[in-house]
Amino acid sequence: MASVKANPVFAPPLGRGRKRSGVSTRQNGVAFLFLAPWVCGILVLTLGPILASLYLSLTNYDLFTAPVWAGLANYQRLFFEDARYYQALKVTFTYVALSVPLKLAFALGVALVLNRGLSGLGFYRSVYYLPSLLGGSVAIAIMWRQLFAYDGIVNEFLLQFGIDGPSWISNPVYALYTLVTLSIWQFGSPMVIFLAGLKQIPQELYDAAAVDGAGPWRKFLNVTLPLLTPIIFFNFVMQLINSFQAFTPSFIISNGTGGPADSTLFYTLYLYEQGFTNFQMGYASAMAWVLVAIIGTTTGLAFMSARYWVHYGDESR
Amino acid sequence: MAKAISRRGLGRAAVLLAGGAMMSRWIPSASAQDQARIRFGGFVESQEQLKQTIAVLEAYMAQNPGVEIVPEFTSFSAFTDKLATEAAGGNAPDMFSVNVDLLAEYAQRGVVTSLDEYVPDPINLADYADGGIKASTFDGQLYAIPNDAIAPAIITNLASFQEAGIELPPPMFTWEALADVAVQLTEALGPRFWGLEDAGGNYIPCDIFLRSMGKSMFTPDHQFGFEPEDLARWYAYWQDLRDRGGVPPGDVQALASSDDPSTSGLVNGRAAMNITLTDSFAGFQALVSDELVLHLLPNGFEGGDMKQHHYSYAGNSTAVWSQSPHKDRIIDIIRFMHFDPKGIELYYRQSGMVPASSAGREALAKEGSEADRKIVDYLEVLQKDPAPPRYPGVTGMSGMLRRANEGVAFGQLTPMQAAEQFISEAKPRL
Repeated sequence: MASVKANPVFAPPLGRGRKRSGVSTRQNGVAFLFLAPWVCGILVLTLGPILASLYLSLTNYDLFTAPVWAGLANYQRLFFEDARYYQALKVTFTYVALSVPLKLAFALGVALVLNRGLSGLGFYRSVYYLPSLLGGSVAIAIMWRQLFAYDGIVNEFLLQFGIDGPSWISNPVYALYTLVTLSIWQFGSPMVIFLAGLKQIPQELYDAAAVDGAGPWRKFLNVTLPLLTPIIFFNFVMQLINSFQAFTPSFIISNGTGGPADSTLFYTLYLYEQGFTNFQMGYASAMAWVLVAIIGTTTGLAFMSARYWVHYGDESR
Repeated sequence: MAKAISRRGLGRAAVLLAGGAMMSRWIPSASAQDQARIRFGGFVESQEQLKQTIAVLEAYMAQNPGVEIVPEFTSFSAFTDKLATEAAGGNAPDMFSVNVDLLAEYAQRGVVTSLDEYVPDPINLADYADGGIKASTFDGQLYAIPNDAIAPAIITNLASFQEAGIELPPPMFTWEALADVAVQLTEALGPRFWGLEDAGGNYIPCDIFLRSMGKSMFTPDHQFGFEPEDLARWYAYWQDLRDRGGVPPGDVQALASSDDPSTSGLVNGRAAMNITLTDSFAGFQALVSDELVLHLLPNGFEGGDMKQHHYSYAGNSTAVWSQSPHKDRIIDIIRFMHFDPKGIELYYRQSGMVPASSAGREALAKEGSEADRKIVDYLEVLQKDPAPPRYPGVTGMSGMLRRANEGVAFGQLTPMQAAEQFISEAKPRL
């Protein structure tokens, strides 16, 4: 409460302090009552399972019999004895490192094109957003499978030019990049946010830049990009977190195996396999907590880096 | 608004709401004493099997209006994950399919109930195939009722052999002869067509390969029945076939899922032979216009003894959840599916499943489809000289075998390394 009082925004108006505080206690009571279902929900359905998984990560738990305390054994096995775990890390980091910047660049590019005063903007915006709506779905992953399989449409097309293409989704050399392409294609959500951000940039700045003799490229570099950095930052963090948790594309396209030869073994897919196929829920819980740490650390690093490249319009330099 | 709802008023409202919720729980249960809602979870091998299973359950419900059976069927791999989640949450289906490996896993964890008290009355398994009963038994107790009899086989497209001008091998032949035939077919019908699909990641043919060497995948006491070099020989066999072109390269083979015939090379016109189990035969035949036949796997090596190593067992058995309140009703549903003439006809006709009972097989041979007859004939051959039964393996072993095989196919592992990788992954689960 002390911190709330110290914040001028939340300070009660002068001269009415005492009387208001009596009313607010009663109102708070009602407010808490109305909040109770939500608080119960978050305690029982979210916080409870989260803490339970922390406990389970320190046990041997096979789903059916009671967990047996194992200390840090799961973590030790994870870091020192499990080669597939490192493969899952490698696959996931490669996926994040490629898909996040490429998807943001693509989304920004499309947003810039759509921002040029096109007629029927709403229509195009909806059409380009569509893959994001459907993208996480099983149907799209299955469609991707049909497109990039050995006898899929892509190879049929290549065959017209005498090229006998590989099986893009089932060759360890290409499989992960096919999934990255699928991720880039789902650029709709960051695109819509970029589009909203572009609309916020005042026209005067472009006019002033034009008076100074700036061309389109210069305007983009010196006006658009700096003023868009808060939006880029927001999209970056959201995509980063999402990409670390990618599951569906690999699960569907590889028939749940993370194959071929573990080339699309996403972190979450391996976690799922350990938990539900191999009945090692304690181990899977440990993996989940390490993933939380990884996402927390990378997001923290992103926030720390923000001060060097994110410019907010109301900041004075 | 703050005055309109007093604290006491809110308290009263909360009590009324809670009371209402309790009443609503009371009302249906009072009127539902003679009703049963039974969830039936399972895996099916084909659309045909799903259709027939639903048909027999609907027939049962028509005869027993108080009973509602909720079918929850899916493919094998999706089913195992789903069942594990539901069972762990204390919400397993009342009755569900198991195979020999799942049965061992669930019986030792107390998820399924022993059915010994229901045998021989009302469930009389006297003329059931021995392999099926063994596959439903764990530590001397019967934990499931075998639904079907299945056996390993090479599903073979006759038209490919005719087109290539190559004779079908004799029933008893060697692993070397299989490789030669596969290579000849590829040479005659390729490119983009291969004689045989890669079965290096498949448990059953691997077991028969090892048995041809006098070994086995597992022993009755849940241990490995082979040495690392024996398994390395298995992976080397498939690598040699890949090198010679008898089977597709790794990336083409990886497109095929082991439990979905529609993704196989045989169905997609890429291969002439697919090593699988007889219960997929009807599903394969439904998707291919050419005539398919069932052929035995090889039973020995050149210069060695030839002996029948195929076993028939139950690919799909029905188990009862240990916490289900409807055990007697479930037994009656199983009785209807297996022993009632109407149930038998609906359940097995054109489903691709062959009854575990010899009476059921005879009836199916008389009245079933051409595909049904072929499976019954094939299984009869195996009953004459039965091999030792299939021993339970470990859950997740299909993935372990497949990954090791893919490692060899994509040049990441030598056959010996692949064998060692499989052993190191499977050993902690024995």
